[in-house]
Amino acid sequence: MSRLDNLQRSMFDLMVAPDAAPFLADPQGWGQARGLETADQGALAARATRLAVYRDLVQFALTDPVEDCFPITQALLEAEGAWKGCLAAFLDSRTVQSPYYRDVAPAFLAWLVDSGWGAERWPYLLPLAHWEHLELELLRHPDGPPAEGLTPEPAPDATLVAEVTLRNLTYPCHVQEAGVEDPIPPDGPSHLLAWRDREGSFRSLELSPTASALLARWMAGDPLGPAAEALGVDRGEALRLGRDLYAKGALAGFRSA
Amino acid sequence: MSFTGVGVGLRRPHLEAVAALSASPVPFWEFAPENVIGQGGRKARLTREILQRDPVLTHGLSLSIGGPDDWDPEQIRDLKAFLRELEAPWHSEHLCWTSLGGATTHELLPVPFTKEGVARCVARSRELQDRLELPFLLENISWYAELGEPEMDERAFLTEVLEGADVGWLLDINNLYVNSVNHGFDAKAWLTGMPLHRVAQMHIAGHDWFEEDRLIIDTHGAPVIDPVVELMQWVLPRIQEATGKAVPVLLERDNAIPELEELLAERARLQVAYDAALADSEVAG
Ligand SMILES: [Fe+2]
Repeated sequence: MSRLDNLQRSMFDLMVAPDAAPFLADPQGWGQARGLETADQGALAARATRLAVYRDLVQFALTDPVEDCFPITQALLEAEGAWKGCLAAFLDSRTVQSPYYRDVAPAFLAWLVDSGWGAERWPYLLPLAHWEHLELELLRHPDGPPAEGLTPEPAPDATLVAEVTLRNLTYPCHVQEAGVEDPIPPDGPSHLLAWRDREGSFRSLELSPTASALLARWMAGDPLGPAAEALGVDRGEALRLGRDLYAKGALAGFRSA
Repeated sequence: MSFTGVGVGLRRPHLEAVAALSASPVPFWEFAPENVIGQGGRKARLTREILQRDPVLTHGLSLSIGGPDDWDPEQIRDLKAFLRELEAPWHSEHLCWTSLGGATTHELLPVPFTKEGVARCVARSRELQDRLELPFLLENISWYAELGEPEMDERAFLTEVLEGADVGWLLDINNLYVNSVNHGFDAKAWLTGMPLHRVAQMHIAGHDWFEEDRLIIDTHGAPVIDPVVELMQWVLPRIQEATGKAVPVLLERDNAIPELEELLAERARLQVAYDAALADSEVAG
C-alpha cells in the first residue's frame, strides 16, 4: 500500500470509528498500527484534535439524513438508550456507498435488514423503520412512463394500472399508529396502501384484510370483477374502491378488456 | 451563453417559489447534478423545469478526485448525459477525497500535500475531463488539518494540480478566507503569484466560528461577512486582468437556509460589490 493510500485508510478508519477516544489518546500509535511512516505518525499526533473535527463532520453528514428520515425509530431506540450505539454500528459497517447523499437513509434501512441489528430485542424495529422510510422512497421514486389508452372508470372485465409508486403492504404491527411520543407500534397485522399522488404528495390508506387481498389480485393483473367474486366481495363495492383509489391518485387508470 | 455577475445555488426549500416565477431572478443558478439524477416526483420535476428555463452552472460533490476508488461507469455516464442536456459550459468539483474502499463519507477530506497526492489528482482530473468531454474546474477547499507530513504547502499543491491537469480553477474566496484565519496566513499574499489566469468561476459563502474548536467551519450557514466580500473585490479585477473576463461569482448557502427573498437580497448586495470592484478597475485601467 502506498503512503497516500495508507494515510487515507488511516483517516477513513478514524472517520467511521465508533469512538474517537482511542485515536486521541494515542494518535501516533493509531498511525503506527496502520503502517504509517514515522513522520506521518508525528503529523497525526500534531493535528489530532483538528483531525477529530473531521470525524465529527463525517459523523454528522452520515447520521443527519438518518435522523431526518427515521424520527420515530430514533425515539424508540433513544428511550432504550440504544440510538447512539445503533448509529455507531451503522457507520462502522461502512455500508454508505452510493455517491448520492439521498441514499444515506436507504442505506441505513438496508443495513438494518442485512445486519439484523436489534431485530431480536425489538421485533417491531424493522417494520417501523421500513414504514418511516417509505415516504422518502416514494416521494423521489423515478416517474413511470406516461400511461396511454387508460380509462378513469373501472369495469368488471377491466384490469387495473397502478401508479409506479403504489405499494400494498402488510406489517406485523400497526406501524402507522407509532409516533415520536409513543414509538412502540401496537401488535397485530396491519394492511396499508401507500403511494405518491398526482400532486406529488405521499398518501396512505388503511385497508381491511379482504381489501388488501383484492388489491393484491388486481395489482397482479386479475380483472376487477372476477377478483372480487373470488374473495366474496360485492362487485359494486369493489368498483367503488377502484374509483376511489383512482380519484386519490393511486392508480394510473383502468385498461378495458 | 456567457456567465457573469453573482449567481445563487439552487436549493430544495426554494424550488416551489423559484418555479412559480416567470423568469430567472438571478443571472444564473448553480446546481449539483447528484441532487436530481435518477430522481422522480414533484421536487425533481420542479428542478428540471427551472434548469430548462434558467441559465445554470453545475457543481459536483461526489467524484472524490483525490481518492483511490474507481468511478462507477454508470455514475459518469449519467453525469455526462445530464451535463450535455443542460449544455453546461463546464463542470466543477472539489479538490478533495470523499470515498475509500467503496464507502463514502460525504465530507470533503483533505488530500495530503505530497507529490503522490498531486500525481493522483492530476491523473484523475485529466481522466474525468476527457470522459466528460467538458472543461473541468477544481475548487480549493476549506481544510482543517493537513493529512500526514506535508511535502509542500497548499499554494504549491493547488498550483501543481491545476497546471499538471491543465484544468480551470473554481476559486472559493470564502474557503481561502477560512483557511487564512484557521492557519494564520494573509489571504492576499496567498493569492499573489497564484495562477489566476485559470480562474473560470468563484464561490462566496458564509461560515461559522466554533469556539470549542477555536476554528472556523465552512458551514455555508450564515451571511457572507465583509472581509470576504472585500477579498472578492480585491481579486476580481486581478482575475479580469489575467483572463480578460468578469468571472461569475456564486453565492453558496447550504445550512440555515433563509427565505428566497432574503437570499436574493444578499445576492443583490454582492452584485453591487461585484460591479463596484470591476468598475473601479476600469477607471484605474
Ligand atoms: Fe465552494
